[in-house]
Amino acid sequence: MKESLLYLDGVSVSRSDADILSDVTVSVQPGEITGVLGRNGAGKSSLAYAIMGLQGYLPHKGKIYYDGQDITGWTITRRAKAGLTLAWQHPARYEGILVREYLELSSSEPSEDKLVKALNLVQLEGNYLTRMIDRNLSGGERKRIELASVYLMKPRLTILDEPDSGVDLLAMGDIIKLFRTMAGEGRSVLIITHRDDVAAECDRSYLICGGRIVLEGTSEAVRRYFMSQCRPCPELEAEIAPRKEENVEGRD
Amino acid sequence: MKAETEYKTLVDIARSTGGLKSVLGDQDAVYVVVHANQILDSNMLPGVDIEADETEYGVKARITVREGVVVPKPVHLCFGHLGETGRQEINSSIIIEKGARAEFLAHCIFPNAARFVHAMEGSIEVREGGSFTYREVHVHGPEGRIEVRPVSRVELKDRASYRGEFDLVEGRVGDLDINVDVQAVGKQSNVELTSKIYGKYDDSCKVTDTIRLLGEGSSALVKARVVLRDESTGRFLGLVEGAASGARGHVDCTEIIQGNASAEASPVVKATHPDAEVTHEAAIGRIADDKIEGLMAKGLTEDEAVDAIVSGLLR
Repeated sequence: MKESLLYLDGVSVSRSDADILSDVTVSVQPGEITGVLGRNGAGKSSLAYAIMGLQGYLPHKGKIYYDGQDITGWTITRRAKAGLTLAWQHPARYEGILVREYLELSSSEPSEDKLVKALNLVQLEGNYLTRMIDRNLSGGERKRIELASVYLMKPRLTILDEPDSGVDLLAMGDIIKLFRTMAGEGRSVLIITHRDDVAAECDRSYLICGGRIVLEGTSEAVRRYFMSQCRPCPELEAEIAPRKEENVEGRD
Repeated sequence: MKAETEYKTLVDIARSTGGLKSVLGDQDAVYVVVHANQILDSNMLPGVDIEADETEYGVKARITVREGVVVPKPVHLCFGHLGETGRQEINSSIIIEKGARAEFLAHCIFPNAARFVHAMEGSIEVREGGSFTYREVHVHGPEGRIEVRPVSRVELKDRASYRGEFDLVEGRVGDLDINVDVQAVGKQSNVELTSKIYGKYDDSCKVTDTIRLLGEGSSALVKARVVLRDESTGRFLGLVEGAASGARGHVDCTEIIQGNASAEASPVVKATHPDAEVTHEAAIGRIADDKIEGLMAKGLTEDEAVDAIVSGLLR
């Protein structure tokens, strides 16, 4: 725990009187890409929201440590200012806000060159800077802009919630390179995914199921277990189904 | 001397608000500056006829953009009053002749109004193939309560297009009751109405946009973006009727409320022809959590995130 950049110590989160995360213990080391692999409804996004401190996802049990500090009660803003951020699975639309302005929020010294470079890294051209982050951008375009924003922010720890959703396979290869570049710069990445091939890119992975961490190990070992032994569990599906219905619009 | 001061104040405000470059003072642009019922300055160019008469409380104007004339710079109409109390009435009749194209920017500036009535009544006719954009930007002071009563009747002929935009986001709204009625009688005519309003304190904001799509293949978009805070109230009624073959219309209303504000939206869609299609969407209430939290995850405080979202919406 002492060496970890992020350490969740037995975290439990409940919504509507039911635990959506139960006794979750996860650690992320500096400069490491860590994966959390799981099926739909397993609690992956809830884990991301709990780490980021979203309202409604604050632990009722356990602690969250970041860089040795207990951040369990910190606001989202304070966490972000400390270098922790989240790239959303479904980034929000912002009518009237330009891509340029959105990216500038994430960069301490924004310049045209830096912004264009960040867009190029996610396979977008510089002319996107003058477009609005509204309904005229597809989900995939907003996703890439979100990743460009995270790149500019240079956080110490980025949580990537389903980074592949809405992104085509060719672009995904470049995005994975981007994670590697970030890790090579000593920054940590926590990838939340349901895709075993994305999890395979991680240094180490966890398998989450029914809001519980059920396996931790090398990415290859977790991936193989996920592929060979994880089957839809009728009992579990029945347990998860009501929680899916509680999901807030725009979140998975 | 007094008129010079009033002129300078109105022009300075007009130049600093509204997003478009002011053409006041440009000899290659058409403009009129009115304080109360006095025409302080104007400039005319061939192809745009403006006849304006001073009335007891304001100005009566007849404006015609001649057939085929394309006005290169926006025509700037600057109406205002620097007093705290009073009344200003602007009556206008605008005709955009066949194939003519023009963009008007109307500034309505009342920085000191406390108990004031500003009434505008206008008729607009856009003839065959004409194109007209009318953008009305209000600048009110931070205090007081001004009654704003803009009423417009618009008629569109074949292939004519009309863009109307009403902005009241600076200072207090006061008591606003805007009413726009568009009859798109021409084939392939097109209309877009956009209202952007920021209500504060106990402001009352009422917007009524009515469009009748009577021409074959005519189309319409009604868009309202309203932010209400404190004790302000808002009421939006957007009605689009598709009454001709191929008519297409859409009503899009977003109202954000904060504090003790309240809002009501009635996007009404009506089809009286079997080949017409009219749709609507309305979102009303607080700003969605995912928008606020998305910006907080970039390091903005909650208040900064709300301000950024509101500014974007009203831009």
